[in-house]
Amino acid sequence: MIPTVDERIASIVRALSEVILPHLPPEASLAQEQVQLAIGHLQILRGQIDHIPAYEREELTDAVAIATALLPSITGGSAVVLALDALRASVGGADGHDVRGETRAIHQGIERLVKAVAIDGVSGANAVLTATILAYERERVIKDRKWFLPFGFDTM
Amino acid sequence: MLNDMEHIHREILDRRRNNRGLPPYRAKLIPEVTEILAQYFAHIRPGAVVSGVRRVGGGASKEQFFFTLSQDGKDEPFLLRMDPRSAITETDREREFVLLKAMQGIVPVPEPVWVDAKGAFFPQAAAIMRVVGGVTKPSLSGVKVSGLGTWLGPDLRLKLRDQFLDYLVAIHAYDWKSANLPGYDVPDADPKQAARWSFNYWAEMWRVDEGATRPVIALAEQWLADNLPDTAELVMTHGDYRTGNYLFDEESGQITALLDWELARIGDFHEDLGWVLMKVFGTIDADGTFRASDLFEREEFIREYERRSGRTVNRKTLHYYDVMSSWKTTVIVAANGLAAARSQHNHQDVLLTFLAATAPMFADDLVRLLSQGDNQ
Repeated sequence: MIPTVDERIASIVRALSEVILPHLPPEASLAQEQVQLAIGHLQILRGQIDHIPAYEREELTDAVAIATALLPSITGGSAVVLALDALRASVGGADGHDVRGETRAIHQGIERLVKAVAIDGVSGANAVLTATILAYERERVIKDRKWFLPFGFDTM
Repeated sequence: MLNDMEHIHREILDRRRNNRGLPPYRAKLIPEVTEILAQYFAHIRPGAVVSGVRRVGGGASKEQFFFTLSQDGKDEPFLLRMDPRSAITETDREREFVLLKAMQGIVPVPEPVWVDAKGAFFPQAAAIMRVVGGVTKPSLSGVKVSGLGTWLGPDLRLKLRDQFLDYLVAIHAYDWKSANLPGYDVPDADPKQAARWSFNYWAEMWRVDEGATRPVIALAEQWLADNLPDTAELVMTHGDYRTGNYLFDEESGQITALLDWELARIGDFHEDLGWVLMKVFGTIDADGTFRASDLFEREEFIREYERRSGRTVNRKTLHYYDVMSSWKTTVIVAANGLAAARSQHNHQDVLLTFLAATAPMFADDLVRLLSQGDNQ
């Protein structure tokens, strides 16, 4: 690819940093803040851009894993049955053609299951649901925190 | 019961929902703000002259401008605090104005002077207050969004910590029952109503702004719904009490004003404690020591709050509000902020998308807190 995405982002960062920012008047505080943040955003994107597809695929893989763990272990009444059916369909439809949309659908399916368990989950279903979600999310949130470390908020 | 919330919060949610289709918002230019102020004062204070309008930096929510109002040979500095079309926290200017008036002489706060609650003169709702001197962070703390992990250092810490805690105790001791506070509803229908109002508001806000769910967020929301605590004593809460939301004199270390009262409500003091104790608003030393707002270690803060307020902190209730705080900040950064940026209804979209990168930290907090179980 000519020019590469990296070259394009680098040129935008340089224009913002060395041409635009120094020429903003001192009283233009909002403009200065916004340009500095835009530069920061772009520099982070520059470092992440090649890894975004892999990151998003892993998000989907993790969503499928947690749903797959939940499906056989939760039982309940009609609300739970319907939620499980919907979640099963979301997992079945996760073929990687629309990675973000498929991840979102599975997460929404899990949200529905959480609500359904509160309605008519069998005794003990909530404990299983909670333990399963926390076990998987414990690892998933660490990946997400690492991903957003360049923003400078996190101290992990 | 999902509709059970303060009237003003219902109005705010409806406004948020109804405003979604409005056109983009553009940051106001200095000449535009000068003209708006000139027209406003021509109406309410004929003969007054507006000058020296300049934007206030920092913050993630409002458009703020310093200006000078001159009349009869007297120059007075003021601060204009104006809503964008949508913000990372959607609040009500009149409600904040009412409480700032009420808090005069109770704790140090800016003096509010004028309010245009419905945006009759200003493009959006706005309030004007007298300028108070001070800074929100030490001048050498580096360029960061105010309050997120502000490091004060040992000298300032020593000067600020007693004031910080004593003012929180004073807010919670405020006799709201004897005060006239229009717009503030009292959650006294049943012992769980204070917690339920807070939960219902933020849960609906999450849906209005189409927060992208993840399993631990769904789990946290259900846990909060299932574990509403009783509130033993209703107090005035600040709602966003932390370093970054007060001004102090850098030389003396005197707190000159407590800021950002827009999330204040009558509720449970544990809600403020849970917020103060959030990791994201504190600092962590190299040895792993956490200090809330860089002022107190967690147990030290709880112990000192109990000693100075005469209250007993219920650990189970505090745990509930620890969870609620992390969930609420998720709603704020991952739903409110991103929705405002998506709709182009804010003057600093790029800051809002930047702040959204904190969401995994709150998700991690929720995993840790929910793993502790119900009985803390």
